[in-house]
Amino acid sequence: MSMSDDVKIIQCEEAIRKMLEYIDEELHQHDHASMEKHLESCRECYSRMEFEQRLKSMVKDSGSEPAPPGLNKRINKIIKDY
Amino acid sequence: MLIASQTPEYDRLDTPVATPLTMGSSKPKSSNRAYFEANIESCLGRLYGTALQLTRNPSDAEDLVADTVTRGLDKIDTLIDCNRFIYWLLRIMTNHFISECRKIEKRTGHESYVEEPENDEPFSLYERLHQPFLLWWGTPEQDFLNKTLTEDIRAAIETLPVNYRVVVVLSDIEGMSYQEIADTIDVPVGTVRSRLARGRSLLQKALWQHGKESNLIDQKKPGQ
Repeated sequence: MSMSDDVKIIQCEEAIRKMLEYIDEELHQHDHASMEKHLESCRECYSRMEFEQRLKSMVKDSGSEPAPPGLNKRINKIIKDY
Repeated sequence: MLIASQTPEYDRLDTPVATPLTMGSSKPKSSNRAYFEANIESCLGRLYGTALQLTRNPSDAEDLVADTVTRGLDKIDTLIDCNRFIYWLLRIMTNHFISECRKIEKRTGHESYVEEPENDEPFSLYERLHQPFLLWWGTPEQDFLNKTLTEDIRAAIETLPVNYRVVVVLSDIEGMSYQEIADTIDVPVGTVRSRLARGRSLLQKALWQHGKESNLIDQKKPGQ
């Protein structure tokens, strides 16, 4: 029996419940495969997944901030004086 | 310059640290200390970015990074795996930040650290914005993200109570796994999972409220 035969069919409710863990790549292999299978055939859940993924990416980008120049100097001093 | 100009033998993050070494001609230093000095500069941007998200203002963020460096030097012997140097620093930073928040909370009575999640329904921005009947010729949810600025996201993160803010920052900005977050803040993985779900729900709610106040959302549409 192939791996694809073992994939559990899930409904939208379960897919929505597991969606964030799927995006975070935190699902176990079988649950991950079930999600992939569901997303292949459900436009609604795929659209939702795209939205959540994009929002997560925007949150990640919001954290990029270069350290101010003075901080480097301050840290050097801490290390030197320690 | 002190940082990165010394201890060239520790310039690779995967250099294992096993025994203290004598660096230079006369002054003995532990190998961990040498590794710390050689690599801290490359971590400052990431530490500052995380500190800024946690503290919500640049001056406090700089202080938090400085405190983290001092505490890192205090705890230098606990640096076991140099491959995880940045995570070791983030753990020190996060725990120091949480500890300071608890002290402030105790002193002022202002609750910034919510221990238990409230039992309300999870909030989904997608469900509020999505219009299934427009599926083929319009995507209000994607339009909303198109109009959302980095500052809007930062402002929404700022509204999160500390315990939710920490897990959202460590997961969505630092890209840590649930287990790494659990190890960093010393809570079970299940707690990370539930705080992350709740934190994201609160974040989406804050974005929704901001969107309504800023007229980013067409409130004439059904359900809005």
